[in-house]
Amino acid sequence: MEVDLNVNTGVYFKAYRFGALLPVLIILFILSASCSNPKAPSGGPAGGQSAGGSQSAADRQPAADRQSAGGPLTVKVGIIAALSGPAASYGISINNGFKLAAEEINFGADVKLTVLVEDSAGSQEQALSAVKKLINSDSVSALLGPTLSTEMRVVGPEANSNGVPILATSNTAEGITGIGKYVLRDSMPETIAIPAAIGQAVKRYGIKSVAILYGDDDVFTKSGFDTMKRTAESTGLKITDVEKFQKGQADYNAQLTKIKSTNPDCVLCSALYNEGAVIIGQARKMGLTVPFIGGNGFNSPRVVEIAGGAANGLIVATPWFPLRQDRKVKDFITNYEKRFGQKPDQFSAQAYDGMYMLAEAIKKAGSADRDKIRDSLAGIKNFDGVLGTFSFDENRDVSMAPYVLIVENGQFRLFQ
Amino acid sequence: MFLNPYYLQIGSFIAINALLGLGVYVTLSTGQLSLGSAGFMGIGAYTSAILTARYNYSIPVGVVFGALAAALSGVLIAIPSLRLRGVYLAIVTLGFGEILRVAFIRLENLTGGAIGFPGIPKLGGTILERLKASSAGARIFSSMNGNALESLLVFAILLCITLMSAAFFALQANSRVGRAFSSIEMDETAAESMGINVYYYKVLSFTQGAFVSGLAGALYGHVASYVSPADFTYHRAVEILVYAILGGAGQVMGPLVGASILTTLPEVLRFMSGYRHVLYGAIIVLSMIYRPQGLIDSETSDWLRKVFRRKRFIDGGVK
Repeated sequence: MEVDLNVNTGVYFKAYRFGALLPVLIILFILSASCSNPKAPSGGPAGGQSAGGSQSAADRQPAADRQSAGGPLTVKVGIIAALSGPAASYGISINNGFKLAAEEINFGADVKLTVLVEDSAGSQEQALSAVKKLINSDSVSALLGPTLSTEMRVVGPEANSNGVPILATSNTAEGITGIGKYVLRDSMPETIAIPAAIGQAVKRYGIKSVAILYGDDDVFTKSGFDTMKRTAESTGLKITDVEKFQKGQADYNAQLTKIKSTNPDCVLCSALYNEGAVIIGQARKMGLTVPFIGGNGFNSPRVVEIAGGAANGLIVATPWFPLRQDRKVKDFITNYEKRFGQKPDQFSAQAYDGMYMLAEAIKKAGSADRDKIRDSLAGIKNFDGVLGTFSFDENRDVSMAPYVLIVENGQFRLFQ
Repeated sequence: MFLNPYYLQIGSFIAINALLGLGVYVTLSTGQLSLGSAGFMGIGAYTSAILTARYNYSIPVGVVFGALAAALSGVLIAIPSLRLRGVYLAIVTLGFGEILRVAFIRLENLTGGAIGFPGIPKLGGTILERLKASSAGARIFSSMNGNALESLLVFAILLCITLMSAAFFALQANSRVGRAFSSIEMDETAAESMGINVYYYKVLSFTQGAFVSGLAGALYGHVASYVSPADFTYHRAVEILVYAILGGAGQVMGPLVGASILTTLPEVLRFMSGYRHVLYGAIIVLSMIYRPQGLIDSETSDWLRKVFRRKRFIDGGVK
């Protein structure tokens, strides 16, 4: 029925045909461009294709390029970070931490790390594709990342079932290392940080009652709230009020007024730094002067920048204390500032130590074998890094005491 | 090379996104613009996740019930909002999607709230285990690499489901139902005066769209093994709409092509790292300027059909 096309319209059809072809041509062009791997020695399309094809043979243990007589061990390490999208500000400082550490390690003579970075854009789908690419196409020996706990929920099981060790440096949610024995982390979970902050505040200020304010539509703030509630209950604190807010809210006066009327000794607040700074500012304005205890989201110099003097009395627990009197910390801060033009934050510090720990594990394992690296990584005890003295516990999770900090005169100080 | 789980993973996401695009296509085929696909996807994903992870039903049961639950909610939303057309319907479905997203956050005991729902059984894992449990399967598969095989199985299943759905919609387009759909799209009043039950067919097309979106959502949950309310925001709904519109929403081929291109692009552009989303956006802008009707419209699909038909004719002639 559609066969007898009108002959007169033939010319238009041709035009349409080319119209359809144009985008296809663009895509083909991009495909061919991407096949010629810039890292491959030969830039030509033929050479690039063969490189891409030969690397992708399924399930091989990564090759260790040990150069004949005692040359350094070269090992491929994959990084998954959210370099674009809404979590990019975290992903970029994390990646900077990795970069700086890898450059310093490669400057030494013990091990050489070939670092491959893939962007996850903060989405689970892209993170899953990225991890499959790193494991199967690039045959990495170990993985670092991903940026968000939600991404780890998807990436972790994949790495674990492939037997590739993965070290999380920024996931703070509960149950991350429970995914499997190949999943480790060096980022302090909320379940350590929040109880430490509350415990210290109770000891110093004799707090008896608390009110809780949290964002209930975000993974981080919600899991922070769960920990706060549990800790308050187990320490025998009276919870006078629980208030919620939503992402992107600008006015917190309703919640704060209600909290103020219940007259708590202290406010526990689980929020990201931009919301948190606004909350503490509005609280102080309406005369709510009690101390605030924040979750991991509050632990950012930006809170003080935004809230100014209102941030005084904010208590957080953190694995990273930049004013610590230690040569390693000072060197790290100077080198980082020199290299990237900004101060390192908690996430870059955790990433930096993570890369060093992995390098040490590879050195100890003496090969690019995934299982050997996992075992020596999980066995790391009393590692001396910029965070302090770090050990993995029996569940491959963080075992270290956090620093409890308080904002005084617009600066984070040790709270003792 | 084709057994590389990375490529198979992209293939699996293409299949899921193509299904989502088909959901938009079938709703649009009666002229209804729906932005609720992300919400329906969420219903499918959570229903299947809860049935399989909490109550130990098998994955096929979970997926079917997930799709049915989405279809049911599709009927419920379609009936009151049928008087609305165009942008107004789009806004209602957008609001509906937001209500669902907030419901996923609030129904904490069921969905895990904002923290999400981890540990959804993996599509490939369970099939592989069952194959290995049978003695014949064990002999064949023990020598093969488990992960590549698992990815291949998942991809094959998803591809089958997508192609079957696409075939169904292609056949439907030329059936009594499909003709009723397109007459409603062209002119509702005229269609009604021709004796077509506009009400029935509009609810039908909306429900079919919801069913397919729910199916895709349920499958997505079993591929990613984790879902959270943040996966079903209106960003996702817009993304799905773009799959259908860029590919060409008038043809069954359109969403398939659109989803394939837009799912592959971010991966293909990985070599550009920082700039890949810029180019991704630029390609969408360019193709909308030069092909506002989508990459595949009725002329291109006729042309493709003609090319294939001629080829078949020549093959026949040679014999």
